[in-house]
Amino acid sequence: MNARLQTIIDEAKARVETKNTNGREKVNVCIDTSSIARGGEETLAKIREVAEAKGLRIDIGVTGSWGFSWMEPTVTVRSAAGTQTILYANVTADRVEEFIEATVVSGGTMPELALGVVEGTATDDIALLSDHPWMKGQERRLMEYIGRHDPVNIDEYLADGGYEGFGAALELDAETIVNQVVESGLGGRAGGGFPAGRKWDFLRTATTDERYLICNADEGDPGAWVNRVILEGEPQQIIEGLLIAALATGSFEGYVYIRYEYPLAFERFKKAAEQASSLGLLGKDILGTGLDFEIIPFLGAGSYVCGEETGLIASIDAYRGMPRIKPPFPAQSGLWNKPTNVNNVETYANAPLILKNGPEWWAGVSDCEDKGTKMFTVSGAINQPGCVEIPYGRTMKELLENYAGGMKEGSTLKGFQPGGPLSGILPASDINLPLTRPPYQERGMFLGGGGVIFFDQTTSIIDLCLYFVGFCEDESCGRCTTCRGGTQRAVEILRRMANGGGRNTDIDKLLDIVNTLVWSNCLHGQFGATSVKVALKFFRDEFDEVIREKRDPTRSLPGLISYVITSPRDESLAAAKDICPTVAISESAGTYSLEDAKCIRCGACKELAPGAIEVRDRFAPPIPADVAAAGG
Amino acid sequence: MSDDPSVGKLRALVAEFEPDRGHLMPALHKVQDTYGYISRQAMEVVARQLRTTPALVYGCVTFYYDFRTHPPAEREIAWCSGPACRLRGGDRIREALQHTLELPLGGISADGKYGFHNGQCVGTCSEAPQVWLDGKVVGDLTVAKAIELGRSVRGGA
Repeated sequence: MNARLQTIIDEAKARVETKNTNGREKVNVCIDTSSIARGGEETLAKIREVAEAKGLRIDIGVTGSWGFSWMEPTVTVRSAAGTQTILYANVTADRVEEFIEATVVSGGTMPELALGVVEGTATDDIALLSDHPWMKGQERRLMEYIGRHDPVNIDEYLADGGYEGFGAALELDAETIVNQVVESGLGGRAGGGFPAGRKWDFLRTATTDERYLICNADEGDPGAWVNRVILEGEPQQIIEGLLIAALATGSFEGYVYIRYEYPLAFERFKKAAEQASSLGLLGKDILGTGLDFEIIPFLGAGSYVCGEETGLIASIDAYRGMPRIKPPFPAQSGLWNKPTNVNNVETYANAPLILKNGPEWWAGVSDCEDKGTKMFTVSGAINQPGCVEIPYGRTMKELLENYAGGMKEGSTLKGFQPGGPLSGILPASDINLPLTRPPYQERGMFLGGGGVIFFDQTTSIIDLCLYFVGFCEDESCGRCTTCRGGTQRAVEILRRMANGGGRNTDIDKLLDIVNTLVWSNCLHGQFGATSVKVALKFFRDEFDEVIREKRDPTRSLPGLISYVITSPRDESLAAAKDICPTVAISESAGTYSLEDAKCIRCGACKELAPGAIEVRDRFAPPIPADVAAAGG
Repeated sequence: MSDDPSVGKLRALVAEFEPDRGHLMPALHKVQDTYGYISRQAMEVVARQLRTTPALVYGCVTFYYDFRTHPPAEREIAWCSGPACRLRGGDRIREALQHTLELPLGGISADGKYGFHNGQCVGTCSEAPQVWLDGKVVGDLTVAKAIELGRSVRGGA
């Protein structure tokens, strides 16, 4: 180990030790975007207020997210002696008073909110966190300390083995580092799966000295927040990964392109980079090794195609973020036309683990083609939207049942969307598919970057396709007509179908578009209608019903349903009339009526008068042939 | 926030940025962070500073959703366009809010008091369906609740 790095680590450990042995309780609130949405900041403020009012001498801090997004705000309390740390969930501001009273003032616990014991021994009513059903079976490597560490205190990262991977890399030559990454089998985590080590080797062997690294933190897949959990929870791990890549590739500058929608991630990452610089881990002649490496946090401005590597490069390069045709690949000609390596946040963050623990250990966790662990976020009609880390190769079913907490009450799984708008929509019968790329490739789609969405019987496949293709249409950069016009035309057809104007020729037209889009310049267009392509394979009946029968089995497509008042004198209709944003409901002498032409099918009225309003098929079912023949 | 700044002030604001160094986006962010939007004049100043053309700067500004060419509204409802929200009636909420506010997505009321915007999913899906009111999540919505929220914002509450 580099002596200067060892000193930095030892000093950080000493500072953490001093803090940990100061005899104070430590109350740490998870503050990430998910927690803030559920009142995390209010909880933190309230804890500070209560501590001050009671004159408590406690350390109050902030951590990243454990992944329990559906139970935020989560809070850990470490006992004054440091013998026990317990994680609590749903600690909303209104419960802080009793929470602090129970866990700090009385020195006890609050079992009703406890998730588990993080450090120490299980108590009679609180089990170990590692025994929590949601934690069991996870292989938390990237996330090992996320939720425990203060994301903007580099000392905590250093004290728990941080920068040891970089330390190990400093002892090796560039080729050996690359070989270790190749050997590990680390593939691109954004969905492509291209071997990171091979990508690094292109750069290492480039003939130009000026080389760049780019970390793609433009996580734009709706429903995915994997990278955000790392950026907001353990930003140093990304910096360490970039440093290792810098050593391996001979790069001197690394851009970290963070999407505009993640301001907290940007702020934390910037602070983390400043801290690394102040300790001499970034900058000129790092640790006396001769390595020069700077990190430039770069803020996007809202564009999905900037997640495509050449679009991202154009965006940094002061142009519209429009992808271009490859080749040349960024490794040949990237940023400022110099060799550039672009990897995803999760990909870089894995590098320290490989260097520190060796490629065999790293790869050994999974027994399928894709190596290592993968973080997944789950959302949709499920009980537990959250973020987990499991080895590649587990099944989608396991993800749904063990981690997503199964479908919500009343919901039956109709299908799922494994990752991002460029991926496809699969039926419930595919729930046993393993989480590894090949079976999805066989179905002509991506496994994706980790944002899995489960949907139920109330979701219309046509609407889902409209959503995903509509997203791709909105986000098309517009450079190639294939993508711009193709996605637009697909949306027009799907929207017409949803509005009741489906034609018998529509499916052929959609297939024609799908097959043409593959000639687009970049992935965005090439996969822009994958949702339709795959849905047509597995949900063809639903398309046929919507087109031919003008009937939507989910009763959700606006053009195929009508809201009908079934009990015109029902008193609850007064509220329904008031809420209607288009004044479609009127009243005369206590009798209510609904004017279909004004109705926008928003459903607000039915929410308030569920017993008096029904959703019906807009078009009456066709008269059966035998009835028609009988004249009737 | 929204006073149209003088050219002198704008020049000083972006003086640190250099041509050909990837400084266009940071410069535009700085202008918008300071003034709330990027005026035509600001685009010209930025172009001059970075030795490029106003047209290129304008092209960049309009390419991204989050750069504004007009001052923001006093109050803003951003509608979450994410999939978890969509599965729980998000699109019906959008439709209802458009009619309640009488604004399309991206619209600002004539008096500049309120605006309605498209928001991207950031993974707060436990709150679905949701909108942001002035940047703060309002989750677990129903269509009726969203309409009431829209009405209160429109009424100046």
